[in-house]
Amino acid sequence: MVNQIKQWIQVARRRHYIHPYLFIAPLVISFTIFRLYPSFQTLRYSFYQVELLKQKTTWIGMENFLALFEDEIFIRSFINTLKYCLYMVPISTVIGLVLAVFLNVKFRMSNFFKAICFSPYITSTVAAAMVWSWLYNPQFGLFNAVLKLLHLHPQSWLASSRQALMSVIIFSIWKIVGYNIIIFIAGLQTIPNVYYEAATIDGAGPFTRFFRITLPLLVPTTTFILIYNTILAFQVFDQVFVLTGGGPAHASTVVVMEIYQQAFLKYRFGYAAAMAVVLFVCILAITIVQYVISERREVVY
Amino acid sequence: MNKLFVVGKLLLTLAVVMVFTVGAAATETIVLWYPGGEITSVALLFHEKDLFSEFEVQNDCRVELVAQDYDFMQQKIFTALASQKAVPDILFIDQSWVPGFLKEDALDQVPEVDAAAWLEAVDPVVKQASDYGEGTMYCYPQYGADIYGLTWNKDYFAEAGLDPEIAPQTWEEFREYCVKTCKKDEAGNIIRVGYAIRHLGQPHGVVHKFLWALWSAGADLVTDPKALRGGKAAFNNEGGRKALQLVYDMLYTDKSTSLDFPDPRTAFLQGLASMQISETISIQTRQPTEAPNLKWGVAMPPVMEKGMTPATNYNPWVYAVPRTAQHKDLTWKAIKWINSKEKDYQFCVKYRMTPRYKENWDREPLVSDPYIVALRAMIPYAHPYPNNLGLNGIMEALGTAIQKVWHKEASVDEALNEAERLANKAIEEAAK
Repeated sequence: MVNQIKQWIQVARRRHYIHPYLFIAPLVISFTIFRLYPSFQTLRYSFYQVELLKQKTTWIGMENFLALFEDEIFIRSFINTLKYCLYMVPISTVIGLVLAVFLNVKFRMSNFFKAICFSPYITSTVAAAMVWSWLYNPQFGLFNAVLKLLHLHPQSWLASSRQALMSVIIFSIWKIVGYNIIIFIAGLQTIPNVYYEAATIDGAGPFTRFFRITLPLLVPTTTFILIYNTILAFQVFDQVFVLTGGGPAHASTVVVMEIYQQAFLKYRFGYAAAMAVVLFVCILAITIVQYVISERREVVY
Repeated sequence: MNKLFVVGKLLLTLAVVMVFTVGAAATETIVLWYPGGEITSVALLFHEKDLFSEFEVQNDCRVELVAQDYDFMQQKIFTALASQKAVPDILFIDQSWVPGFLKEDALDQVPEVDAAAWLEAVDPVVKQASDYGEGTMYCYPQYGADIYGLTWNKDYFAEAGLDPEIAPQTWEEFREYCVKTCKKDEAGNIIRVGYAIRHLGQPHGVVHKFLWALWSAGADLVTDPKALRGGKAAFNNEGGRKALQLVYDMLYTDKSTSLDFPDPRTAFLQGLASMQISETISIQTRQPTEAPNLKWGVAMPPVMEKGMTPATNYNPWVYAVPRTAQHKDLTWKAIKWINSKEKDYQFCVKYRMTPRYKENWDREPLVSDPYIVALRAMIPYAHPYPNNLGLNGIMEALGTAIQKVWHKEASVDEALNEAERLANKAIEEAAK
């Protein structure tokens, strides 16, 4: 073994690829310590009853996973997460695409509008959520003030179990649309103009050009946006924590919120780890499905 | 020669520095964690610079006061205890957190001799809150405990033709007063509620503000409130159903309140609510700055029917010591010192709070302060929280049920049945 390693080092020196490994070593080491190790530890904990204060772990096999199927709050949080994903991802993608198409045209102050659209994405989620919690305030909030001006009935927003999740979704769409726009603009700029010119000569109108040229050639970009947003949606936590805390009556609780509650408020680390493993498996499955479907739809002209 | 002189000076300086640093290191330091900000007025005393200076001189030690963010304080305590690093010596915490820590066997017991002396000297309600069974104590309740009372806006009462000095005594009167003092705009939207409800946030907080109704209806959280283990949920009964139905009827039948005013104390101080039931201490400390012109009264929450015994919460903040704290003897000494009879009197006078020692209630100016007098009349009816180790689970289950009913997500029976099942599960798990 030692001789093999020595041989490998000699070869690596001759071929000058020791340096790249040295350069990426800090990243690999920190990734291993702060990502890989905790992930494997989480997987391990999911099969144990973990009592950190008593420094005790007890093997319980699949009990944590079986308990999840009987936990109404976890099931509710999973359904809420799916709803959140089903609304947030397509709506933010469509809005991002439409705005990107408009902003891709050169006009006066187009860069300024791009910056305006992107600014919510670079704002701290917690800070933005705190501001939005005031916008949603039933008595003093801007949204209800506008509704009253328009002689419409003010809404409860975050104070209502029927509106809380949707209020969080609206915030999240506002937050992520800017990022989608930038990525879509980058994708639009890779489409050669010659296709649009040829289509125009053949008599294709703007909608035909959009649906027959732009959309198909944007499949890789759209795939990336959908996968990225889906992963983000499944991992949502900050805005839920700040805006609603998961309430009222678990109406807006999501899986990561439930993981936080179980681990850090109820000290059930093993159970929380099992939830995290289930979440990981779901995200992985959906990501694979999305990728396979989009590969089939990719078009090359 | 010069060189020798310089070296000599350097060595002397080094020696002096070492003497002082070694001397300083030899001094024991005990660390106290308390919630920073304005989450609780009883933590105001930790802002005093020389709070422990007399104790420090007497015991040649240092007491370090560290403010923690209330929202994350429990997690920080847990992390420190689990990692056994930077474990604080004294925890100043909400008593409703204690069962969670006891369940993890994380707290040290008060020395028996000190516990016996304390239980002998304090007010009966303080004694009830301090005793975890057969004279065992795990914490010392702080002065100025949160006694929940009904506070009302006297101007709004007068405006509605009600006697501004008398609070509603029964649930029927309470509903009537809410209807009369509620205000709506031209479109029929409520702009001032008769009674502000707490229904958002952590379920525990929702339960805190509901307990007066539960207890006055003859229900409870658990069958044996003093026992650490065992018992069953005691709220899925006629009393529990009536308590939930009371606010439900005010929301949807009387329409004298609304879910759109979720912070009762703030709504009351801002003039958006005529009445609210929560910590009287909070209104007493916030009103002079936030609502200086507010004329308000404080009384016991109303009873279900005339002739019934009123009930309310007594929820103190407490001093506790983690089992893994390093300087336990000195720590308990410090806690005893800050909770002595004289210190109790001194702080209660300074901060206008309710004392714990029986004798201090009868000393001026406490005996003639109208606010303290009002609370003194209420305290015999105050209930501390149950000691049950499953308390967190019970509160969460009931809090969720309350939210579901008031948000029309479930009927009263459905919500209470589910809450009882979950609460009993929490009690069973905690008893293991």
